[in-house]
Amino acid sequence: MKHLALFAVLCLFPVAAFATALEQTPWAPRAAAYRLTLFMGNLSPVPWQRLEQSWEQPVAGGVPAVPALSRVTTEEAAALRAALKARDRQALFGAATRAVAHGILRHLATAGAMPDAPGATTEVTKARALFRAFEDGIRAGDPQAARALGRAWLRLSSALGARGLAGVTAQPSDRQAFAEARTVIETYLRANYAAAEFAPRARLTPLPETISASAGRAADTPLPPTLPPGAHIAPQRPLPRLVLQFEEAGIDESDLPLVAYGDMLFDSPEIFGSPARDLKITCSTCHNRSDINRDFFIPGLSRHPGGMDVDGAFFNPLFNDRADDHLDTPSLRGIRFTAPYGRDGREASLRQFTRDVIVTEFAGPEPTPFQLDALVAYMRQFDFLPNPKIDRTGGLTALASEAARRGEVLFNTPFGGLGDRACASCHVPDRDFRDGLAHDIGTGRPPFEGGTAPRFETPTLRNVVFTAPYMHDGAVPTLAGVVAWFDETKSLGLSAGERADLTAYLEAVGDGEDPYQAFGGRDSAFRLAFDEIVTFASVLETLLPARDADNIAVLIDTIAADLALDASAMVNQAAKPQVYELAAILRAIGDASAGGDWPEAARQWHTFKARRAEYDERIY
Amino acid sequence: MQNRRRFLISAIAASCAASGGLYAGESAGEDGLKLAFIPQENPEKLLGDVQAITGWLSARMDVPVSGFVTFDHAAAVEAMGNGDADISFMGALPFVLAEERIGAVALLSEVYRGHPGYAGRVFVRRDSGIASLADLQGRDIAFADPVSESGYLYPLDLFVREGLIAGAEGAQGFFDRVFFAGGYQQAMQAMAEGLVDAAAASQYADLLLTPGQQAEITFIAESEPIPSHAVIARPGLDADLQAKFTSVMLSLNAPENRHLLAHLYGPDGYVVADPNRYEGVREIARRYGYLK
Repeated sequence: MKHLALFAVLCLFPVAAFATALEQTPWAPRAAAYRLTLFMGNLSPVPWQRLEQSWEQPVAGGVPAVPALSRVTTEEAAALRAALKARDRQALFGAATRAVAHGILRHLATAGAMPDAPGATTEVTKARALFRAFEDGIRAGDPQAARALGRAWLRLSSALGARGLAGVTAQPSDRQAFAEARTVIETYLRANYAAAEFAPRARLTPLPETISASAGRAADTPLPPTLPPGAHIAPQRPLPRLVLQFEEAGIDESDLPLVAYGDMLFDSPEIFGSPARDLKITCSTCHNRSDINRDFFIPGLSRHPGGMDVDGAFFNPLFNDRADDHLDTPSLRGIRFTAPYGRDGREASLRQFTRDVIVTEFAGPEPTPFQLDALVAYMRQFDFLPNPKIDRTGGLTALASEAARRGEVLFNTPFGGLGDRACASCHVPDRDFRDGLAHDIGTGRPPFEGGTAPRFETPTLRNVVFTAPYMHDGAVPTLAGVVAWFDETKSLGLSAGERADLTAYLEAVGDGEDPYQAFGGRDSAFRLAFDEIVTFASVLETLLPARDADNIAVLIDTIAADLALDASAMVNQAAKPQVYELAAILRAIGDASAGGDWPEAARQWHTFKARRAEYDERIY
Repeated sequence: MQNRRRFLISAIAASCAASGGLYAGESAGEDGLKLAFIPQENPEKLLGDVQAITGWLSARMDVPVSGFVTFDHAAAVEAMGNGDADISFMGALPFVLAEERIGAVALLSEVYRGHPGYAGRVFVRRDSGIASLADLQGRDIAFADPVSESGYLYPLDLFVREGLIAGAEGAQGFFDRVFFAGGYQQAMQAMAEGLVDAAAASQYADLLLTPGQQAEITFIAESEPIPSHAVIARPGLDADLQAKFTSVMLSLNAPENRHLLAHLYGPDGYVVADPNRYEGVREIARRYGYLK
């Protein structure tokens, strides 16, 4: 859960720059479309329709909300449209790159023509915003140039001077310095991003052409994976409430080292492979605090927030089924009661399913038996949100409304359109509103004409109020929509009132108490994350005596860095240095463990506990 | 100050009309209230914010409220001086300058983390070996903006008070290069990336960096407290309208309205401004010849 603290920070940089999942700052429309072109252009198959939309329509993550094509010249638009129409990936890359580069050049030229006018600053700011599209590529591929360009942008801004206010605070402009800085930027852009032709690229990247075209240099350039504009992998707001059985029973997690270690792994990108690991994606990225992340969205992979195509080209090309099959992320609440697993119910074992997610979906290394034991031990503690509107048999209590009661009757009434079965036949009230089976209810298409349609497991209705959208692919946004879908596709013949009653019933059985985490004062998001990290660290009480260097390494790699990073979300920023100190002590434990210096590791652990106790009051 | 960070988000700007501003929202008409917003780094995002907040204010005040984005502080103050704008949002230094020039009055002060004030700091990278202001002699520094109190004047004054420079003019002789980066975020980023040795910015400006970068920097000096950014009114604005505006703005502190603060540079809330709190700013502005 530790990543939750950072979502409070509106961060300013591309997702690639983050060591953990943060929100992206908005992109200029052309820069957004360019980055979307790079990302989707690397998918297989390329989602051409979505790529077209990235240029023709406003995109999430772009500000202002205007189509990128509205910001390019007629000639640039023609080149982009021709490449899109021809579905020519390389041509699109060239046209998009040139459109952004020439956009920068035009803004700089406009600023250069009026360096003393207040509008010049606006033009430079626009140019700088577009330059962001290339910046990580230059930094990775040509660090020396990145530094020179960074200084040039700084000189450029400074050379514009300032008008001042009330006749004072003015700074004179410096035309020569402006011209020199502009030349540095323009020369680099013309050589690397405004070229008439680009060498064919197996992978579309923002690397400078001079680097990319040089086989040796390109191969030696580690370009960190990025997510495109509009991607959202930060925890959802408001943050779901986590109901852990042991915690509700008054047991401290630090007394359950296996569970605590599993909790840590649930929050650890270390169990996944690249790019998920590099992007700091964890189990909890999609399953926020056992529930779902309804804000999760990756353009090109997600059709709508709250899910994605998990077997696409991005996370594990080996597992790419080349089908555009978005899956709605299921809630893990009460997961011990909801076997089989997977939307198609393909796996009876939670342990095996967990392994498959790690290895096949997110390209992770084979988890150790201990890691799987820990993850399963933790997840089996997930309970549903308590719901006083239903009793232990799933029947409505006196707290339910009259409409819900009428709906309950309908829910248990057999319909011809359902094969003389009732809703309750599959969503069995005394079995957590599910039957543990997979059915073909007509929501999935056969893979080919005459093929067998997919079946999907019956989802629980418990806490369903908080898991919109619905159906395996999240195609239906509301519970009322679900009722309408069944009524229409199964010819149930419900009246408007009956639809409303059935919806009221679903809302009653699907309700839950205190669904979201409450924060306030010292009970900050950071403090919640800090307490969890301390709990994770408590596993050292078990791992250090066992001299378990491998699991200590995973633990420290996960929590030491994150503790330092989470500090940015502290309410009490004055205590940030103390948090950095604690993070450094954790790192020292890891270093000592890796070096086999167990007395030093134990000493550092002792220091950590003492310092934490000393600083505790200030850490929030 | 840090609450500006929500606003200092990317380096893009709007195309401004020749008059110096891009109007957003409905026309206020003769009896409406006109708000002038000063862009920090993303005027185009600001346009969306302006529409959101003016729409809400119009509904709450039952008065047409419009807003526009100016090029800079000077344009906002000019607009207030000639009656084209009634209200604006600016830092303590530009406020006291506007106060002297056109008689602007402060209505509200932003609150951040419980206080209507903050400080300016001089930041360096932890691995730079720079431990004091004196260590910056012959090195490069990035200030935010010449009209910024926390990103220029107050940090500059730290060097003056230590006797390292004689005044604003002495900066060029003490440092190797002095840059005005254009805002907190650009100054901090330049420092964090090693393009300059130090950055002068709000005490909260480290939050403009990635969490990883934040762990790699520190500050070597902090200014005296500075009053937070203010919501100011032009002189002669109708007293009833002023009172109504102030009252509605204070209702942004209510939990159900707090989400709207993100459209107003993102403070935690507002308090009624105390003009006396700006005396320290007036004093330093006088010392540097900005005020008579």
